[in-house]
Amino acid sequence: MKMVKAEGLTYEYVRVLETDHGTREEKVAALKQVDIEIEKGDFVAVLGHNGSGKSTFAKHINALLQPTGGTLWVKGMDTKDDELTWDIRQTAGMIFQNPDNQLVATVVEEDIAFGPENMGIEPQEIRKRVDEALETVHMSEYASYTPSKLSGGQKQRIAIAGVLAMRPDCIILDEPTAMLDPVGRREVMETIERLNHEEGITMILITHYMDEAVRADKVYVIDDGEMVMQGTPKEIFSQVEELQKYGLDVPQVTEVSYLLRKEGIDLPADILTVEEMVGAICQFKSTT
Amino acid sequence: MSIQINHLTHIYNADTTFEKTALDDVSLEIQKGEFIGLIGHTGSGKSTLIQHLNGTLSPTSGEILLDGENIHKDKTKIKEVRRRIGLAFQYPEYQLFEMTVYKDVAFGPTNMGLSSEEIRESVISALQTVGLSEEVYEKSPFELSGGQKRRVAIAGVLAMNPEVLILDEPTAGLDPRGRDGILQAIKDLHDQRGITVILVSHSMEDVAKLVDRIIVMHKGKVAMQGTPGEIFSHVEELEQMGLAAPQISYVFAELKKQGFAVPTNIYTVEEAREALLKLLKQVKA
Repeated sequence: MKMVKAEGLTYEYVRVLETDHGTREEKVAALKQVDIEIEKGDFVAVLGHNGSGKSTFAKHINALLQPTGGTLWVKGMDTKDDELTWDIRQTAGMIFQNPDNQLVATVVEEDIAFGPENMGIEPQEIRKRVDEALETVHMSEYASYTPSKLSGGQKQRIAIAGVLAMRPDCIILDEPTAMLDPVGRREVMETIERLNHEEGITMILITHYMDEAVRADKVYVIDDGEMVMQGTPKEIFSQVEELQKYGLDVPQVTEVSYLLRKEGIDLPADILTVEEMVGAICQFKSTT
Repeated sequence: MSIQINHLTHIYNADTTFEKTALDDVSLEIQKGEFIGLIGHTGSGKSTLIQHLNGTLSPTSGEILLDGENIHKDKTKIKEVRRRIGLAFQYPEYQLFEMTVYKDVAFGPTNMGLSSEEIRESVISALQTVGLSEEVYEKSPFELSGGQKRRVAIAGVLAMNPEVLILDEPTAGLDPRGRDGILQAIKDLHDQRGITVILVSHSMEDVAKLVDRIIVMHKGKVAMQGTPGEIFSHVEELEQMGLAAPQISYVFAELKKQGFAVPTNIYTVEEAREALLKLLKQVKA
């Protein structure tokens, strides 16, 4: 069974516009006929500029929004079925952009216990889950801290631990590093990769940082509510012009090799990292 | 207008158990018309530093001179200092509050007691500078996109006609298009109005593209300063301070290590293209 599957997923809402002649209603389609299949254990990145529909898509996986057309299943559960909402949210946890907006308690370990407490889990089991979750995000020594004393990256890891304590199969992260400094970004990205590799949790990362997306197994690009590109990072990022058309960047090394190729220099089109770039240049030297 | 910072020290919660030295004997000089990039990881002291520049914080010791005059000497003049040195905080869009974009930007000049004609002039000019078209003037700021909101907030600072503009993480959380728009507006502002700009940013790619000089803060001190080329050739030191150089700088540092004759002061895509073109053509020949 697919972790996430969407068929013809469409989301429309009505926007009320103020005009000189009173108000006017306008139908907006934030998602248009999106088909997607995400396998269990995948690390997926979803790219798109602001307003492209990528956050709207993310909110559907967590049943925060329900489709107005088509269907989205999380582990076989139809998100339109209200009876399943809690099971879906337990299966697919969500992390948001602002680390300050999602911590609810005044002590770190109480914050992490919030989810399992609401699930009606035994106190002993909660204790165990909180400790394990803290350990998984490497924050055990901060159990009795107050979240406001933590850095942005640490807060995001606490938020992730809070989701982990609910034992999800899948975590959706909506631009989790947008408000963090380089150290915080690195901490969060390492946590995401570790949870994916070691715990086998399906990770769906919504981002517009290309250096984060290159680390995923698969990349999807959303533009104007439509799924316009999908493939491995190498397949996606080698299409420099296409990405720029959708208002997205490519990593600096990819752009440089693209520009050099245009000058007739024979470098691979799918260079994504510093190591690959250096390797390609060394290779170039030895073959000529 | 030049800014001179002499032996500036700031200690939070002095004489308590929470005492923390955020700035430790910092001396700096910023010339009129310079475009400065201020970098440093969270807690390095860069926010404390910029809050001193317009008198939001007072030094524990040391002084800040504006055209040779200590900004804290005459308390009644602090308002004038804040007008001359505009500060756009991080996520400035959270500070928008008026019913319309126009009114929000007009708030500062209105409080300066300007005539309505003067107010109109500075508001329109500020909105034009940040690239907002007339059709949004009467809209509520909350109807706009993230990038547009941020432009409105920056326009609010500009409308006071500051001589120095300090921007704390102006592109944080924006997508590439929003980011490029804001950076272009800032660059135009610097080039056309000739005002001094101090850009605080975590994004080394942004800083690399724009500034004349970079100041690196670390543990309350100025750890390095120099042109982007000078600073980004120190990839390892930057890493140790929890910072990063632009991705392409790492390629050149590594090529150098492997014995290639390449410059290490490369930090933009354009420079990298030139340098590699030269290198690879040599190899071919």
